[in-house]
Amino acid sequence: MGDTDIGYWVVPLAVFAGAIRVSTPFLLVSLGECLTEKSGRINLGLEGTLMIGAMSAYGVSYLTGSPWLGVGIAAMAGMMMGFLHGIICSLPRVNDTAVGIALMLFGTGLAFYFGKPFIGPQAPALPSIEFGWWSDIGQIKSALSINVLFIFGLVMAFVISWGFKSTRWGMIIRVVGDSEDAARAMGFNPNFVRTVTTAAGGALAGMGGSFLSLFYPGVWHEGLSSGQGIVAVVLVIFARWNPLGCLYASLLFGGAGALGPALQSVGFSGGYHLLNVAPYFLTLVIMILTSSSKQRLSGAPGELSVNR
Amino acid sequence: MDVSQDHAFGVSVKNMSKHFGDFVALDAVDMHIPAGTFHALLGENGAGKSTLVKCMMGFYHKNVGSIHIDGAEQHITGPHDAHELGLGMVYQHFTLVPSMTVLENLVMNHPHIPPVINWDQERHKLEIFLGTVPFKVPLDKRTSELSAGEKQKTEILKQLYLNCRFLILDEPTSVLTPQEADEILGLIRDMANHNQLTVLMITHKFREVLAFADAVTILRRGKNVGTFSVRDLTAEEMGHMMIGAEPIRELGSRKKLTGGDIRLELRDLQINNDSGERAIKAVNLSLRGGEIVGIAGVSGNGQIELVEGLAGQRPIDGGEIFVHGTPYRGTRAEIRNHRVACLPEEPLKNACVASMSVAENLAFRHFDIWPFCQGEKWLKRSEFTRHAAERIKTYGIKTRSPAMRMSELSGGNIQRTVLARELGEPADVLITANPVFGLDFAAVADIHAQIMEARNHGTAVLLVSEDLDELLELSDRVIVISDGAFVHETSRQDADLSVIGQRMAGH
Amino acid sequence: MDYFTDKLSAALVPILALLVSAVLFGIFVAFAGVSPFETYALIYKGAFGTWFSWQNSLQRAAPLLLTALCTALPAQMGLVIIGGEGALVIGGLASVSTALVLQSFLPPVAVQITMLLAGTIAGAIWIGGIGALRHKRGVNEIISSLLLVYIAIAILNTLVEGIMRDPGQPQKSSTHPVADTVMFGNLPGMDVHWGLLIGVMFCIATFVLMYLTPFGFSARIVGGNPRAARMLGLPVGKLVIIICAVGGGAAGLAGAIEVAAVHGRANSALIAGYGFTGILVAFMARQNPLAIIPVALLFGGIEASGGLVQRRLDLPNAAVEVLKGIIFVVVLAFETFSGRLGFLKRRKP
Repeated sequence: MGDTDIGYWVVPLAVFAGAIRVSTPFLLVSLGECLTEKSGRINLGLEGTLMIGAMSAYGVSYLTGSPWLGVGIAAMAGMMMGFLHGIICSLPRVNDTAVGIALMLFGTGLAFYFGKPFIGPQAPALPSIEFGWWSDIGQIKSALSINVLFIFGLVMAFVISWGFKSTRWGMIIRVVGDSEDAARAMGFNPNFVRTVTTAAGGALAGMGGSFLSLFYPGVWHEGLSSGQGIVAVVLVIFARWNPLGCLYASLLFGGAGALGPALQSVGFSGGYHLLNVAPYFLTLVIMILTSSSKQRLSGAPGELSVNR
Repeated sequence: MDVSQDHAFGVSVKNMSKHFGDFVALDAVDMHIPAGTFHALLGENGAGKSTLVKCMMGFYHKNVGSIHIDGAEQHITGPHDAHELGLGMVYQHFTLVPSMTVLENLVMNHPHIPPVINWDQERHKLEIFLGTVPFKVPLDKRTSELSAGEKQKTEILKQLYLNCRFLILDEPTSVLTPQEADEILGLIRDMANHNQLTVLMITHKFREVLAFADAVTILRRGKNVGTFSVRDLTAEEMGHMMIGAEPIRELGSRKKLTGGDIRLELRDLQINNDSGERAIKAVNLSLRGGEIVGIAGVSGNGQIELVEGLAGQRPIDGGEIFVHGTPYRGTRAEIRNHRVACLPEEPLKNACVASMSVAENLAFRHFDIWPFCQGEKWLKRSEFTRHAAERIKTYGIKTRSPAMRMSELSGGNIQRTVLARELGEPADVLITANPVFGLDFAAVADIHAQIMEARNHGTAVLLVSEDLDELLELSDRVIVISDGAFVHETSRQDADLSVIGQRMAGH
Repeated sequence: MDYFTDKLSAALVPILALLVSAVLFGIFVAFAGVSPFETYALIYKGAFGTWFSWQNSLQRAAPLLLTALCTALPAQMGLVIIGGEGALVIGGLASVSTALVLQSFLPPVAVQITMLLAGTIAGAIWIGGIGALRHKRGVNEIISSLLLVYIAIAILNTLVEGIMRDPGQPQKSSTHPVADTVMFGNLPGMDVHWGLLIGVMFCIATFVLMYLTPFGFSARIVGGNPRAARMLGLPVGKLVIIICAVGGGAAGLAGAIEVAAVHGRANSALIAGYGFTGILVAFMARQNPLAIIPVALLFGGIEASGGLVQRRLDLPNAAVEVLKGIIFVVVLAFETFSGRLGFLKRRKP
């Protein structure tokens, strides 16, 4: 194999490959959050959901030998977490952001509790599709080895985007998210719709978690997702509640997140921890640049509480 | 019941009663509305108008009584039943989805939406429907960009598109210009004349009752005072029947005052709205002591931004505000030194802290100086209580104790509390916006009298209101605001309603 | 009268929530084949059963008192700050840095005072900055404060593995230790460090500030309704930033105390989750600085019992995290019975 042939080209290639790898959980979580926020609720608990998804997928894959069953169970577990958020927030006077914070801690705790025995053993990982079969160069082969969950997320971004415009359910979600009065007048039950979207968003986030533990980095440990769920929530705002925007934003953040490992692979090892928080830093900078104390964010669902 | 009928039908309500706990909201009300007529429902706030129509629409479950359509009794257990029967209601507040187009709003309002929506087909269906009704609206505009009149038309279209033949309108003209109101009510009147529609309109505007309705039913404290043909009634008689024998405070006489000093001055004032667009476009104004200047306009033409800017709730984006000839930024010291008072609309949202007590809310202007606090270090609770007890008594605020939370007071008492705080001591400048919105007659008269009294004592009053009757009653001068600019000014004597209406509409 | 019935009902709801949480946790451990009643008994024993466990609980309550203030004080202004963990880490780093620089030439008492001050100031800037970003640029403080936790942790890791690393500690990357003479002792007659007293005093002082002074009164007006506060001419931005800084200072002080009284150096032991448990303490105390004192003690006890529960019942140590999570969720769900989280309601302009 011609490892040395491409020299420093390894960095952009690694960033590209890393962008796709690192962006997959961002993509799935932000699509889930987009669905939830479009209906007028915010679920900050997706960080916990991500951990539960990662743990349950890893556990199931280890115990049954089937990573796909793991992904399915992760989606189910995520859905349960979303459903829990949905029904609690349907109670009058209960605040969705606060419940999200609580579920973030609760979900993380649950994942640690059940995940204890799975720290250490190696579970079967998810396969990926080799788009690099035409090349002889190892780095290109590995860069183009793309996981099915990324392709699933890609397709979902387009499906959800189309759904918001042209399906009954998508339109109902937007109505509920934009004006509760209008939704009630049209005979829709906002709490029901929101509970459904939060559960669906939780399922997507759970799948995002399964990607973390079953593909990249492909292990289960307690520091697996430090803050990726919360970054995904910001991505939705950055993407202006547009599913395709979530796709682009996730790729951008994936690229930022891949920079650290990519540089490390060619020998830059200084500031390893700092490079690893590049996505958080980037998120913060973007929030500071795009927020305004005077204006509301354009495109925000009218009923969304975080949009003040 | 035949859903697809295309002619109007009559509705009768018999012996309708509704209780909320011990409170009797409706007490054995009878009302008959013949097919193809325009019926008005008059009453004060809390008289039971909304309760009555909500019982008819199935939002509330009546305790006693029955509803008859063309003579046959119908059981309406929810809004869905009402829609099936051809009853529809347009709410006082718009229920349009702001980010969606008119087309999307109309389609989504339909009970049978296909799982995948073919927008071309829906548009085609709607265009055919629009050919059968007199209302015209731009289908592809977002509803947030529509004028108030267009929004109201869209609301009515929503009901007509559902094949509604009995239309309930809840104060449909409150945010419209007189011209817009006349146009819309006129079109509906025509549909009734052609027996396409029966109309029940909740209103408090006698002018509209007299101009458009066939008959009027008057409610007072949940009881039907009577149903009358409009031809037999005058506005005075309607007013008396609505409020009964309750004593109403007289508006004090307008003292003749001239040559007061200039208290408030706006020079090329510019203020942006939440979207960063210019909402107030370089306006100029001089306000003298002892005069009330009214700002008339259709809501959404910059009034909110103007009042927020003057009250210090919104930054100024250009120009200056002067009070007593010195630049004014609304700091605490300036408010106190220049004796600036403010009675904003929705006082609970703008001027109170709902979770704090009445006594604390009453002390907001002076809590940081003697006697409310000692040596500017420690709050003196006893002074809070003493001061509150005094104000509560003087202003007749109905509260169990000064320690009650603000949020537990009724709307009228919240407004009285703010009034007691802001006008409890002499003011040099008073800025007020829709000060009586949603209050009953007695409270309205009381607050109007207090504003007039302040004026007679030399306060300069800026009154921003969407209610032309209120403006013409109180103001010495009326200025019309349209699209963020002052476009017309007239003295009280020369005010011409039709000119003001045209200027409000931007013509 | 109103005042007392108010306080009573305010206290009743969290107590009921706590009971329901206990039942739910009992069911949870029952699935793991453990007797709920045995678990309750062990938690009680590990938290408050003996003088030894009391001291352990008090020791753990000390940082919680301060990190809870980091959420509770901004909450009085309508801000939800969940980044106390970050301020604690930064406070700890700041205090260890000052100690390492100053301890060679200043007397121990002076070093101790500067350590506490440095931690407080660092935390105040950390969270005060979040308040400033919220006020000046409308940056959502929930998200920014949480992101800053990860950034703070990365700074800590970078420093302890880089320029501040003590080569004498190969197994766990740490800074050099502060001198033994600088370390805080215990309160007289007990095995609990001075941080507990500092925490209690801080809670009382902020209660006095918020409820008995005109400054606190204006801050509560801002928190209750910023629109009304602006109408009254109050300096909204200044108040928001100051109160955030005081809350952040409390969490930074907690970090300084952890360094000066417990660990003696800065390393990943600082990331013990006190910041996150503090959020729960603040919510359960309904953001009232005085109520934080008993609630912090309760959760200090729950944390302290974790080891015992783990050893005796063979449950993962994350069982305590699950219990805290259940309590948090139930406490919030129980808001439906009182609806008095007034500061959370006004989320729209």
